[in-house]
Amino acid sequence: MPALFQPFCCYNMAAMKFILCLLVLFISLGAFAQVNPEGVMVRQATVYADASSSTQAVGRIRAGARVSIFGRKGGWQEIYSEPEAITGWVRVYQVREGNYATQVNPQEQEDSRGFLAGLASFSRKASGFFTQDNSATSSATATIGVRGLSEEEIKSAKADFHELEKMKTFASNHKRMSKFSSKGSLQANKVPHISGSSK
Amino acid sequence: MSRLLPLLLITGLGLAVLPVMPAIAFDLDGLQKQLTTSLEKLDKMRGKVSTEEEIEIGGNLISGLLGAAALVDEPGLQRYVNDVGFWVAAQSGRSELPWRFGVINSQGINAFAAPGGYIVVTLGLYQLLENEAQLAGVLAHEISHVVRKHHLKALQKTMKREFWTDLTVDAVGDKKDRKTTQKLINSGVQLYATGLDRKYEFEADLRGVVLAARAGYDPFAFLDVLTTIDSINPQSAELTVFMNTHPSTGDRLDTLAGKMDGKLDSYASGVDNADRFRKVMAAP
Repeated sequence: MPALFQPFCCYNMAAMKFILCLLVLFISLGAFAQVNPEGVMVRQATVYADASSSTQAVGRIRAGARVSIFGRKGGWQEIYSEPEAITGWVRVYQVREGNYATQVNPQEQEDSRGFLAGLASFSRKASGFFTQDNSATSSATATIGVRGLSEEEIKSAKADFHELEKMKTFASNHKRMSKFSSKGSLQANKVPHISGSSK
Repeated sequence: MSRLLPLLLITGLGLAVLPVMPAIAFDLDGLQKQLTTSLEKLDKMRGKVSTEEEIEIGGNLISGLLGAAALVDEPGLQRYVNDVGFWVAAQSGRSELPWRFGVINSQGINAFAAPGGYIVVTLGLYQLLENEAQLAGVLAHEISHVVRKHHLKALQKTMKREFWTDLTVDAVGDKKDRKTTQKLINSGVQLYATGLDRKYEFEADLRGVVLAARAGYDPFAFLDVLTTIDSINPQSAELTVFMNTHPSTGDRLDTLAGKMDGKLDSYASGVDNADRFRKVMAAP
């Protein structure tokens, strides 16, 4: 074992330096990418000069276009599209950070959201579940393990009162609520309904 | 006014003699009781159902749905969904209802509400969510259906008037009432397959985002959920019922975003509690 280990330490100082340089380069590239996250336009959108639809429209951008994402103001996101040379604001829901191919990667989701979600997204990716997912194979695999709640299943169902009683046992209460909201840093706001009603 | 005057005088006289004539007072009591019962019946014919009856109806409807897909066997997940839902519902105009939430074992993407405060989300929809604010947005939409009594209104439209006069809370054992209850469950469950009036869906969208903002969440998280659903292949089996029962997601996004414009921007910094959400997801 030492015989194998020693030569590596001795004659590879230059190589080590090279690896170190590469590491620094990767880290700095990573940091650069984080400053300007990439996004994809999920819908065709009008780009405005500022974060309001009452400001000047500076152009339109097609669905699927890749953009750089900057700051967010309320329901608006500032974007830059290089090929179309447009900088401006679109609604938050019109753009998504990252791209769809990575969003349905089962490996990633298994880490962050548990096995169940990973499995679900895996079968979804295989079935062409997401329209933007170009790596979809065929819809024949869609039925594997998928149990939808079909119209027929809903209509032919028999009431299950045992499940109803079970459902009641999980109900929250005011004591649990105050603990839950304070742990989650949730603070109630007074917001009037947009339709004008306050109920 | 000249016609009203004698009537006022008679009524006034009647009230004035009440304390000295207990026998007549007793009769008046009986009359009043009769009147109240008739009025209650009339209310039911018009569609006014008491809160107790509403809860009873909702329990029956949700039991029908639970018969189609049972609760996911994860107590931690069920409690968490109840915690989020109860907090959001507490910001609504009907916080006093016994709110109950659940995740049901179906890969179909949907959420359902029943009168009286019963709400279920399918596992398929839950797995699409990325954080607590998105869950709150979905629940807030369903809570709004309950607060505005959308399902009750829809049921009243579809069912005959006599049905509502037959419906009583305390007579479950009666054969006739059992039949009535079954009829109600059937109609209610049908409703889940055919969907509500589209205007109710738009209303629940708009009220839901306000509820989420009241609860301290980023109200725009609900737009993210709709965007995700919009990106799903509409031919997917998981979306069939959702697509049949809701307006197009694109229309909902455009309408909602347009109406929210500039109104809720200051609440966009609300929390999303993504960490807490992921922990529950990852728990065995």
